[in-house]
Amino acid sequence: MGIQEQYISEAAGLLASGAVKLVIGYCEGSTPDRRRPVFVRTPAEAERLMLDGACVANLSTYLITEGLLSDGKSVAVFLKPDGIRSINILAAEAQINPEQVVIFGFDIENGQARTLAGRKASDFTSVVEAAKAAGLSADLQKESERLVQMSAEERFEYWKEQFSKCIKCYACRQVCPMCYCRRCIVDVNQPQWVNTSSHTLGNFEWNIVRAFHLAGRCVACGGCDRSCPVNIPLRLINHRMAKEVLDAFDYYAGESTDQKPVLATFRQDDPETFIL
Amino acid sequence: MSRILLKNKLDDCIAAWRSAGFSVLAPVRRSDLSRFDEVERSADMALDLVLPERTIKDHFFPQTEPLIKYKIKKHDIDSQEMLPPDMKRVFFGVRPCDASGLAIDDPLFGWDYKDEYWFKRRDNAVIVTIACTASDDFCMCTSVKLDPDSTKGSDVMLRPLQNGNGWQVEALTDRGNALLGPVASFLQEGSEAPAPVASVPVRFDVDRVMEWLADPASFESHFWKEISLRCIGCGSCTFLCPTCHCFDIQDEGDTFSGIRRKNWDSCSFAMFTMHTSGHNPRNTQSTRWRQRIMHKFNYYRGKFGVNSCSGCGRCTRQCPVDMGITETLQAITNLPK
Repeated sequence: MGIQEQYISEAAGLLASGAVKLVIGYCEGSTPDRRRPVFVRTPAEAERLMLDGACVANLSTYLITEGLLSDGKSVAVFLKPDGIRSINILAAEAQINPEQVVIFGFDIENGQARTLAGRKASDFTSVVEAAKAAGLSADLQKESERLVQMSAEERFEYWKEQFSKCIKCYACRQVCPMCYCRRCIVDVNQPQWVNTSSHTLGNFEWNIVRAFHLAGRCVACGGCDRSCPVNIPLRLINHRMAKEVLDAFDYYAGESTDQKPVLATFRQDDPETFIL
Repeated sequence: MSRILLKNKLDDCIAAWRSAGFSVLAPVRRSDLSRFDEVERSADMALDLVLPERTIKDHFFPQTEPLIKYKIKKHDIDSQEMLPPDMKRVFFGVRPCDASGLAIDDPLFGWDYKDEYWFKRRDNAVIVTIACTASDDFCMCTSVKLDPDSTKGSDVMLRPLQNGNGWQVEALTDRGNALLGPVASFLQEGSEAPAPVASVPVRFDVDRVMEWLADPASFESHFWKEISLRCIGCGSCTFLCPTCHCFDIQDEGDTFSGIRRKNWDSCSFAMFTMHTSGHNPRNTQSTRWRQRIMHKFNYYRGKFGVNSCSGCGRCTRQCPVDMGITETLQAITNLPK
């Protein structure tokens, strides 16, 4: 039995027994290379589920839907290691009860999906440890190195050009499991803290606010980068933030459900190089 | 016989239009994004794209634009309109769906109040459209009763020649005719056949859709909840749409002086209908998605006699969760009668 069939059968079983009220997975998309998120509530509907190398979206973002978990019932969700780390962060930040999340873990290798053993977030500790040991993406490191080599002026020009494309559609925010604020700071309008206009200044404000709020929280699922309709390389910003916290505090986001948020904790031996 | 523009004469045309005082805008790929922008020579153009990622709407209804400058003094208020300057512009290589989008929006911007910011740009723009000989999986112009060579909203229509050397040229409006004046010597008579237009399958039955949407019982249908479950509520589909036109008015400045701006807004956003009281009449994503579909295929046609969709397919092409108008309208088409 292939991984897809195995999970379809398990999903149908969990729904039939009432162990979960909902399965969030992937199904056929509008083209052969697209998979779209699907919400499965009955064993019969589980037949629609698909799992293969095209299933890239981090579905944990749907778990923060207002009211979804408030009845105490469980939901099953298909997650790659990045999504599992998102669950850990959401639990650590008291946004979800991880006991309500049944994880259908998988990873994609050479374009193929393979099973990750476990059902609860805590079952995947070794997977997350292995991800941390493997380090941040070498591809991203290479790409971001090009920016690091630039002078500050060149780098500013680069981002000015990129941010000038932003149309404030907020796809990057909406797709992100870490953006769970019921009212985002940019939508707070009494007073209006952040310019709503998508002129260059307003776009800088938004993108910098977003980046800061993701420092030590982003799991590099790439959702924002893929979703950006104007192709701003958001991955490079996220990568830089992840590298900063890893280098300075040996902090890797989403290691466990009780990991203290990096900006909400301290250690006696934290570096103080930036304090005058 | 028809008039022909050969590709190797395009640079002469651009130069002639520029010396006649026009800016020439065409699809370009710049900073990893395809869009309309000013060009000085044909080599800068990306005419091979099925469709640029951004629409030409952006050049008539920008994502943010200043309306007035204001200054509040002790006893009076100074305000000054900030109308766009007169700009003679040629949009070269527009796709029929984007050109149609402008024509669809014209009545909206000229209805109870004539939006000078829109028309000042519209009145001085000449739309030179190139008929589509290629399409992709998301194109759906034929589903909304347009075609890969629709002339709606265009001033000049170019049909690519079969041999790939240039285009058949047809002026459709006085403005189009006038544009061809300065480049007449670069056009020639020819009998080369145009290439066949793209074959775009009909993906839904828009008549059936309109009929269902017009039925009052459909408004509260469970359908809307099911179809929009995965919508994440971003504004990607609305902001990439050639006909979406909603905006918000914002004052940027302080109590004493500032700029009043017109900024794009989206019915997908929860904030869009939020009242000061905190009550939100569209308090779920499904009611927002319903509004988007209803507005495009029911309300807009009720007011202006035309659907507010030109079938470009960007809503699906760029959707982070692979939603879009096509899927919803297909699902409505397939509902049991």
